[in-house]
Amino acid sequence: MRLLALLLTLMLACPAAWGADANDILKKVDRNLEPESYEMYRKLINIEPSGAKKEYVLYSVKKGRDKVVALFLSPPSDAGRATLRDGDNMWLYIPNVGKPVRITSLQSVVGGVFNNADILRVDYSVEYNAESAQEEKDAYLLNLKARTGEVAYDRLKMWVDRKVLLPVRIEAYAASGLLIKTLHFKDIKDFGGGIRRPATVETDSPLYKGHRSIMLYSQLKKREFPDEVFTLNYLSRVEDLRK
Amino acid sequence: MLVRALAVCVLALAAAAAHAAEEFTFDATEFQKKPLELGGYVELKQQHFTLNPDGALYLLNFYREPRSYLDDTTLTLKPSGVLRRGAVSLNFRAHLEGDWETRGFDRLARFDEFYGSYKPDPGFTLDAGKVSLKWGKGYAWNPVAFVERVKDPNDPDLAREGFTLLTADWIRNFDGALRTVAFTPVVLPASPDINPDFGAGRHLNAAAKLYLLYRDTDIDFMILSNGSRSRRYGADFSRNITSNLEIHGELARIEDTQRQVTTAAGQATLVRGAATSYLLGARHLSERDTTTVLEYYRNGPGLSEDEMKNFVRFVDSAYAQYLATGNDAALARAANLARNGYGRPNPGRDYLYLRVSQKEPFDILYFTPAITVMANAADHSTSVAPELLYTGFNNVELKLRAFFLNGGAGTEFGEKQNRRRIELQARLYF
Repeated sequence: MRLLALLLTLMLACPAAWGADANDILKKVDRNLEPESYEMYRKLINIEPSGAKKEYVLYSVKKGRDKVVALFLSPPSDAGRATLRDGDNMWLYIPNVGKPVRITSLQSVVGGVFNNADILRVDYSVEYNAESAQEEKDAYLLNLKARTGEVAYDRLKMWVDRKVLLPVRIEAYAASGLLIKTLHFKDIKDFGGGIRRPATVETDSPLYKGHRSIMLYSQLKKREFPDEVFTLNYLSRVEDLRK
Repeated sequence: MLVRALAVCVLALAAAAAHAAEEFTFDATEFQKKPLELGGYVELKQQHFTLNPDGALYLLNFYREPRSYLDDTTLTLKPSGVLRRGAVSLNFRAHLEGDWETRGFDRLARFDEFYGSYKPDPGFTLDAGKVSLKWGKGYAWNPVAFVERVKDPNDPDLAREGFTLLTADWIRNFDGALRTVAFTPVVLPASPDINPDFGAGRHLNAAAKLYLLYRDTDIDFMILSNGSRSRRYGADFSRNITSNLEIHGELARIEDTQRQVTTAAGQATLVRGAATSYLLGARHLSERDTTTVLEYYRNGPGLSEDEMKNFVRFVDSAYAQYLATGNDAALARAANLARNGYGRPNPGRDYLYLRVSQKEPFDILYFTPAITVMANAADHSTSVAPELLYTGFNNVELKLRAFFLNGGAGTEFGEKQNRRRIELQARLYF
């Protein structure tokens, strides 16, 4: 009887222990993907079924766990646009046109498969709780649940390479269980400064059949910024951060 | 045969691999910051107006040469640029326009902005020159925009001309419920030579805005001192209630306003007094990417329904007098009243604004249809504007819009100069 009780206790404790381990893995994935505070350049390519492409280049900076700013450098029709995220708050600034307006994480400022949550992504562990981890042949499968209703995707399934603790594939689901998009992480590259991560993230979505979106990374570096950079009033001056 | 087929396959695979490698290459060095950056756009706009022969504003503008339509072609160049050296930069945005209308040609050349900036650190900025400030949270109207030119609610996103001023911006961040405080003082001189359209006389006007990000809510307080315009105070806010619903509002108190009103007989009087304007609005994004903007605007110093009706009666009698006698003196007086209030966009007191836009319907990327309805809530007249926007060609924006104005006699939109307007606009960014 005592043995049975012990077994039951162990069985009940296991999911919690797994959850804790899974969250540890998730935190390591976060740090392996990017330093906590950094600057980087990204190119977003939207590819239509016809093969037609539209490209955007962004300069992004991040501080701490939940402050991100992204500035569009190209194409000229979007150059100077800046988006800011401070926790659950998001704003979009369009130069010469108006003041920054509040936007939501599901909105897309570029069109296509990528939305604001993808462009202004903060640490996965900030937005998601890893409920469980399953061991597969070469990967851990983390089952992530959004911590709040503010998060763009309700659930993520993240396959993490067991050796390097970097994501290989992420499936993003709506609360209804609908698969919204799949992200494929490719082309692991040494960015210097101890940062070694995938330089390409390819995205497809059953909601945009035949369309693909590619995100390419360049010049990802650790860099510290003052808090004032992550404010509404600074959005028109983000360009000043670039060296 | 088999060897040849294999060779072709290998070559095809190699070509595909090379193509893929080329396709996904990105080196950010080509996007390094430059000391001089230039950009902007050129825009061609074609408009066709179907005139409203029953409208009071039509009668004032066309009583000598009645006509049923107008065509208008506008070519606009908006170059902008910045020259940087250390913490100092020189910024400009110019507006060059040629306008071919059925009745003649007009042109315009001006700087919308031309100012120097000093930014020693991210927490402080000093701007001096012609600057376009943007105060307020409303989409179609901004009653707290005390130091700006009035926004056109038909084109709220259009870049506007600034005023010549000196302004600074201090930003400080904190931990806790109050995350950001920013203070923006403004000094705006006005005289017949500088900012003549800001107000009469010679004044050194002072204004200020205090911004707070408090408990995830944007809050602003603003003030404009007594000078070229009467003293006014304001506040605004914006907040996300849920991840897809934002609410915002503005409140402005103006200590002294004046408006010219007329009786149906044409006796004009000046009405003075304090006024309060406010705006309440919401923006919602649905799961299907439908964005809805809804706003109510109370224009405190606006004209009442009866004041509008009296003006229309005066124009009708002035026109009848012109037809009977050929004397257009009363029409000239009415035209003067129109310039000073009755003919301005949204001269009334209560307005509703609704804009619904659908991003990329039927999986058509970069295509956004929208419909905008503006209503004078007092007289129930409306402007309904469907719109198609396509941004799929690199650096090109194509927009097709139509405006349908509806309303009976004596109503705001029923008495406008136009009954309908169709507009095609092509923009090329560089």
